[in-house]
Amino acid sequence: MPDLLTLVLQIAVILAVCRLVGSLFRTFHQPRVVGEMFAGILLGPSLLGWIAPQFSAYLFPSSSLGFLNALSQVGVVIFMFLVGLGINPKELKHQSHAAVLTSHVSITAPFVLAALLALYLYPKLSDDSVSFTNFALFMGAAMSITAFPVLARILSERDLLSSRLGTVAIACAAVDDVTGWCILAYIVVLIRAAHQATSIWITLGGILLFAVAMIYGVRFLLRGFERTFRKHGEISENLMALMLLLALASALCTQRLGIHLLFGSFLMGAIMPKEAKFVRYVLDRFETITITLLLPLFFAFTGLRTNIGLVKGPQMWTYCLLIIFVATIGKLGGSMAAARLSGMPLREAAGLGTLMNTRGLMELVILNIGLDIKVISPALFSMMVLMALFTTFMTTPVLELICPDRLLRRDPTRAEQQGVSLEGLALKTSDGSAA
Amino acid sequence: MSHTNRNFVIAYVLLVLVPLVALAGILRVGHSIKAPISVDGTWNLHLDSAQLGSLPCGKTLAATPEKALVVSQSGESFVLSFANGPRVASFGTLDGAILRASLNPSATWAEETGCGAGRRLSLVATINPSSKPRSMAGKLSVDDCPSCSPAEFYAFQQAAPPSKGGH
Repeated sequence: MPDLLTLVLQIAVILAVCRLVGSLFRTFHQPRVVGEMFAGILLGPSLLGWIAPQFSAYLFPSSSLGFLNALSQVGVVIFMFLVGLGINPKELKHQSHAAVLTSHVSITAPFVLAALLALYLYPKLSDDSVSFTNFALFMGAAMSITAFPVLARILSERDLLSSRLGTVAIACAAVDDVTGWCILAYIVVLIRAAHQATSIWITLGGILLFAVAMIYGVRFLLRGFERTFRKHGEISENLMALMLLLALASALCTQRLGIHLLFGSFLMGAIMPKEAKFVRYVLDRFETITITLLLPLFFAFTGLRTNIGLVKGPQMWTYCLLIIFVATIGKLGGSMAAARLSGMPLREAAGLGTLMNTRGLMELVILNIGLDIKVISPALFSMMVLMALFTTFMTTPVLELICPDRLLRRDPTRAEQQGVSLEGLALKTSDGSAA
Repeated sequence: MSHTNRNFVIAYVLLVLVPLVALAGILRVGHSIKAPISVDGTWNLHLDSAQLGSLPCGKTLAATPEKALVVSQSGESFVLSFANGPRVASFGTLDGAILRASLNPSATWAEETGCGAGRRLSLVATINPSSKPRSMAGKLSVDDCPSCSPAEFYAFQQAAPPSKGGH
């Protein structure tokens, strides 16, 4: 049995610190999520455990972390369902050459650069229980991800969702996330298959069968939710509970198939009906409790696993700076170059690159999976968390600097038809800040 | 094929397909790179408790039942702690098959008779990477105590969890 007093105390402290630091970051025009990610690190061994080790050991005894982790994982499962819900496959179709090229380059450029960096980091930050291929592929997937919800929220806050920059950025981020998660699923299967009696082909076949059944079978049954919403203007609590149950069932299926809970909930969200008002309605019902209560627990749990003290000495800090540099050059530079080559004006191309470089919470989710399956070491995990924080933190000020609103709003393309459908994409907190 | 389409195809080949080929090359080259020996995980520690107890700072550790070292590895460096034993902050390094760590006893551990604040212990061990499970043999000594004879130990690595990112 968990020590209930400890658990409640932990939740109270985490909520208070996350709200406080999140609000503080809002005053710097930063998305709340950046502040909450930072708050998680403050609560971990990097600060609290360093300056007050006894209080830290009292508040977060190692025996209690399993319960905190379980609660935070439930939050991330629901969050991934909401992320999937926000992705509209129709946005990925009929994209211009610019969007297709930019989205693919925004994956391949950071991926290849990360693999190149892996050649240097593998002998220094990994060990012989992890193969180079797994290490390099994971680094690639982790560096090529974009925080779709944060990006959508930043665009929404700046009224840029309907601009050319906004539509291309949303399409690219959606492609990146779907691709990133597919690659990650493949890596997890590879790693887990090495330790299981089941053949990798049976595992892959099972996953493929599950995905086909979901996309070509379950997806059509889910339209009933949208029909009910259209008819009554709302969805009953029973149906909302059913939706949640389906997300959890899908999560359990993917976990059982040998990948991870999160892939199932993401897939269930992705195949849900995409009518904008319906999406907004479901997001409104789920996101308050998820984003204000459960995700801060995930940030705290991530913070408890992040020990900046492991990034010790000039050599380790050099590795950390290299990771941040490569991640930024690959994502920002790659997206910008592709957009520019596709004919996008320089400022807009730079703005797109900056937006694509936002990693936020999605990066933390991937990194936690990497640490769980031990494909990355604790020190590398801490460096990558710093990279995620840095790249997310830099987005708003850099975007404002190189791409002021007044220049972007002049763009007339696709505004009317895209504006309505994209409104539902952004996850937000109760005060309207980005998740 | 129109001019725009041709440009798109050329750009796509150069910016997407060529990097993918490069990625295949990187993965191929990476196969030959050797990473440090894995010491991550829990090691069951076997040592002579009487010999260890005679060392300054050794009594607390000698009194610990089922002694186990917990190593959290990040490449060539690691953090070391005792699973059931006294709290200790210890960073170490791995140089080939040689493992070195310096242990700084916590305040409560330093209260042990004869230990004293600021005293440090050194752990040096040689890993046998070919044994299954992996094993190491080494010595635990007290710094600044030339008259103290080091306590010899050997340890076996517990089986890795099933989700390890293996080959």
